[in-house]
Amino acid sequence: MSPPENAPLSTERIPTGIPGLDEVLGGGLLRSGIYMVMGEPGAGKTMLANQLCYHQASRGSRSLYVTLLAETHSRMLEHLKPMRFFEPRAMPDSVYYVSAFRTLEDHGLPGLLELLRREVRHHDTGLLVIDGLVQAQESAASPREFKKFIHELQVSASLSRFTVLLLSSGTGGPVQPEHTMVDGILELRERSYGVRAHRELRVRKFRGGENLAGQHFFRISDAGLEVFPRLESLTHREQPLDKGAERVHFGIPSLDALLPGGLAVGSTTLLLGPSGSGKTMLGTNLLAEGVRLGEPCLYFGFYETPDRLLNKIAKVGLDGLQEAASSKRLALHWQPPGEYVLDVLASRLLAMVRAHRARRVFVDGLSGFFDAAVEPARLSLFFSALTHALRCMGATTAFSLETPQVFGPELTFPMGAGISAVTENLLFLRHVELDSRLRRLVSILKLRDTEYDATLREFTISRDGIAVLGPFSTGDAMLTGLARHPSASTRED
Amino acid sequence: METVLVVDDEEGILSAITDLLELEGYHVLAAGNGRKALERMVATRPDLVLTDWMMPVVDGLQLIEQMEATPGLRAIPVILMSAVDLSAPRRLRPELVLIQKPFDANSLVKTVRQTLDRSREPR
Repeated sequence: MSPPENAPLSTERIPTGIPGLDEVLGGGLLRSGIYMVMGEPGAGKTMLANQLCYHQASRGSRSLYVTLLAETHSRMLEHLKPMRFFEPRAMPDSVYYVSAFRTLEDHGLPGLLELLRREVRHHDTGLLVIDGLVQAQESAASPREFKKFIHELQVSASLSRFTVLLLSSGTGGPVQPEHTMVDGILELRERSYGVRAHRELRVRKFRGGENLAGQHFFRISDAGLEVFPRLESLTHREQPLDKGAERVHFGIPSLDALLPGGLAVGSTTLLLGPSGSGKTMLGTNLLAEGVRLGEPCLYFGFYETPDRLLNKIAKVGLDGLQEAASSKRLALHWQPPGEYVLDVLASRLLAMVRAHRARRVFVDGLSGFFDAAVEPARLSLFFSALTHALRCMGATTAFSLETPQVFGPELTFPMGAGISAVTENLLFLRHVELDSRLRRLVSILKLRDTEYDATLREFTISRDGIAVLGPFSTGDAMLTGLARHPSASTRED
Repeated sequence: METVLVVDDEEGILSAITDLLELEGYHVLAAGNGRKALERMVATRPDLVLTDWMMPVVDGLQLIEQMEATPGLRAIPVILMSAVDLSAPRRLRPELVLIQKPFDANSLVKTVRQTLDRSREPR
């Protein structure tokens, strides 16, 4: 099926069908444009091009895949067979493979151009892929002849309204003459970060439209290519809904009494404390209160499997969450231990919030995101973007974050510069040694836009749940975990 | 010596099959598309045509149609090969000998031999 007769040439976009790539490209490729896809062998150029072809086939449009000196078609198709986007029935009508190497050898670039023009017309092609551009370049008598070839291809593409992908094994070196001729350049590469390797895509050039600048992670799986735009590069034109006076509470009366105004809807709360201090309990209480009120809730955790979590919190008065999980009012997502990618995690989290329309979210283990960051300098902007996205979805979110030291005079905040600035609320949990007993302490360090009780409080976790006791009226250096009495300790109840 | 005309736009495949069949004792002609194949056939009538399906200019099925329309060529046996699923041509032309790529050398040689032998059987 040929492109619509009256489709505008300059602004019509061809969606790639590659998740995330259209976002990076600002909507897709421009119809009749010529795009170079550059990358070393194995970078993913062939996969990207084929994925595009089969996506076009699913939309009723025809593609012509022309190889020069590339792998054989049958070998290529063998590699495509495990891919979910691959549809063998699309061949030969909607995706047609030909080799033009002999034509190039015998008749040079003019012969190649003639073949391309004829085959595009004969097959009513909307997308033309030329795989192995380097061979065409090497056949050119001069750089000028090669530029002329690209130019003539461009003219044909405009006349006949087909889009062109040129696959080149060139790398992102100095600008080559043909780079000035094409409408866009996509670079695929693999970069090492210590022992890790990441595939990255960059739009080096894109005429006629906005795109997301910089490197974006992509992966290749049986879904083909999936691109995960760098979260902080996405333009956040969306404004969070102003929920006005809407507030949420933890559902722990003694704790909620410390923050009578509650947490603003859509706000982000950081639950900070060492291991075993009660962060998970507090976070799941926030969700339990949401479930009680009929709000869809999401638990996104890194450390505990859903079963283990539910068993643990059932012992502290939250046994109702088991049923909530069964009935899907509470969605539980667990990231097993392993290497992750920051933007993939964000994408997964946001997709789940969207899918469940979660009003309350608890991310148990912010350090799971830290561990995924190959460039820690990104974290501040990344979290700013993540919290903004959550706010725009109206999700009230709590993040738990472990502090490394259980006891000690030093308070180490394991947060990159600026992360605390993007969270509206901050609760600090601590173990305190006092009177030869280990006690739990909670203090509110920050609560945006509302008053709160700043006193240090002991809290307990029992079969009946969390209870916050009266403030410690005496005792110094509580927040260090090594409290000391100036005199006998009394507590106001 | 029997003559086989191999038709495929992929240079590497054309070269590999040509060498293979020559080693098996056949005289091999090669063409990169259907139009060139027809030109060669008119000059030197092959005993068998082994053709790819997807090719520029004139593809494999079009070549078969043009051979059938040409006296002197219509009786030449044809084997159609392709990396594409062959169930559609199998349905449309049940008499056609088909071979799915990728194939191994032995399968190809066996199919060529069987097709040639069958073409010599009295009808």
